[in-house]
Amino acid sequence: MNINLDVEVVEEDQTITLTLRGEIDAYTAPKLKDALLPLTKKPGAEVIVDLEQINYMDSTGLGVFISALKSTKEYDSELKLIQLQDRVRRLFEITSLDSIITIESTVRGGN
Amino acid sequence: MENTKLDLDNYRSLLKEYLLTKNETALYQAEQFSKLSMQHNISPEEIIHVHIEALKELYPDLTQEVNDSLNFLLEAMISYGLAYQEFQTLREKQSELQSEISVAASMQQTLLSTVKPEIKGLDIGAISVPANQMSGDYYHFVTDKEDDTLGIAIADVIGKGIPAALAMSMIKYSMDSFPENQRNPSAILENLNRVVERNVDPSMFITMFYGLYNPGNETFSYASAGHEPGFYYHGDQDEFEEIEARGLVLGATDQATYRQFERKIKKNDCIILLTDGVTECRIGDRFIERDEILQVIKKYIQLPAQEAVEQVYKHFERLQEFQFRDDFTLIIIRKEV
Amino acid sequence: MDFKPCVNIRKEWDIVGARQLGREKAKEIGFGTVDQARIATAISELARNIYLYAGTGKICFEIVDDFEHKGLQIIAVDEGPGIRDISQVMEDGYTTSGGLGAGLPGVKRLMDHFDIISEVGEGTEIRASKWVR
Repeated sequence: MNINLDVEVVEEDQTITLTLRGEIDAYTAPKLKDALLPLTKKPGAEVIVDLEQINYMDSTGLGVFISALKSTKEYDSELKLIQLQDRVRRLFEITSLDSIITIESTVRGGN
Repeated sequence: MENTKLDLDNYRSLLKEYLLTKNETALYQAEQFSKLSMQHNISPEEIIHVHIEALKELYPDLTQEVNDSLNFLLEAMISYGLAYQEFQTLREKQSELQSEISVAASMQQTLLSTVKPEIKGLDIGAISVPANQMSGDYYHFVTDKEDDTLGIAIADVIGKGIPAALAMSMIKYSMDSFPENQRNPSAILENLNRVVERNVDPSMFITMFYGLYNPGNETFSYASAGHEPGFYYHGDQDEFEEIEARGLVLGATDQATYRQFERKIKKNDCIILLTDGVTECRIGDRFIERDEILQVIKKYIQLPAQEAVEQVYKHFERLQEFQFRDDFTLIIIRKEV
Repeated sequence: MDFKPCVNIRKEWDIVGARQLGREKAKEIGFGTVDQARIATAISELARNIYLYAGTGKICFEIVDDFEHKGLQIIAVDEGPGIRDISQVMEDGYTTSGGLGAGLPGVKRLMDHFDIISEVGEGTEIRASKWVR
């Protein structure tokens, strides 16, 4: 519970990349929500969330991504998740959220 | 004030006794005095004041420095006294909230209570334990006297505690309001999805597995809305198979459809349903893998179903040092004949 | 009424000045050491509130001596942002700074009478009195 979540935002024109590090659970989800939701409210923006360094996420995290997805529909922006760890990917698969959220399907090899 | 006067006499004599004898009895009495003072909401600065007064009476020639330093101490204690008083009020408030939550929790239990049905040929075990007072897990059995079918719902609301419990109560009521003849797992999930999508916060969602067992043709039909996959236990081989039923969680979009699956249930086979409170068990930093859960279930699966679910629960309760992080729900249904 | 002694609060050290003046008044009226200390602490909290949330303001003192009471009234006035939700500010456990025991609930506890008038955007006036026993 003392493990935190770091959020790093890089904006390049319409492409906004959020790099997350740590754990997403009931304690850290509000931080993610505060960082992610406003970004999805920019029409035309492509919000990319890099989850490579997220080794744990619970259902509260899924909730944040669902509300972000709903927000992209409302504001005509896009949401894409990349570099998911297996455990996190499994959550999106079980809940079939991978059918409505764009998730980069190939795991980056090498480094 | 009257009280303090009385106490001043008492304190003065205690102090005097201690200064003379340095014995433990006086110190013990001082302890009693401070406890009594707290009961009467006497703040620390008042006790220091009493001390100063008593000291002055006993030693009229106290040096100015000692006198001033005691007044300094008195000033420094004012904020402690305030903090203590606020703490007391907050403690009272907390116990009020606690009892309100207990009332809500028992209301929830009444609302969501389900009778584990007695169905010929089926042995059913079910356990559901909330992590906090109120649960975001839910299971429900629906029986039909005419055709002897058994409907089983198991659901998990994101998060836990009161918000989850409120959402769960809503689900329960919508399910109750569906027409009697509507018992198709996929149709039930589609209806519920619309209810959840319309009525809850965008970041809230619910996972649910709904199954319907028809003893007439020994068939189990089911559909899942993103729920943690359950298991099918093959009694003859002593092996588990994951029940595959993909489907989107309730509340993510307004037009989700759910595929319905069917399978025949053989004698001595079991259907095992659970929530992610079971699979998300953590021991320190390590997660329990699904295979480990199966090993534990396997160990107890020969027991009567109710005993089996209780033993599995006890096992994980001990592993997590009796502190579950999430609500825990497990159902085992065995076909006996 | 116009001759009430006041201390302007502009910087943190003005809080000390307000305490000092308040203590002198309290001593004059005949408060004992414990009550003097309580009054000083209440002044601190009120002055600190002005300093933190309004920026500037003043703390005034009025000696009360009528048929009913004899005592000291502290009047804290500022033209700051005002308090939107007074009930919330008066609630125990609600502090934006200072932690347990601090803030306006603390002042209310230390004093015998307490009243706030506040308009959002216009300012706040707090009156807190203590009676000599």
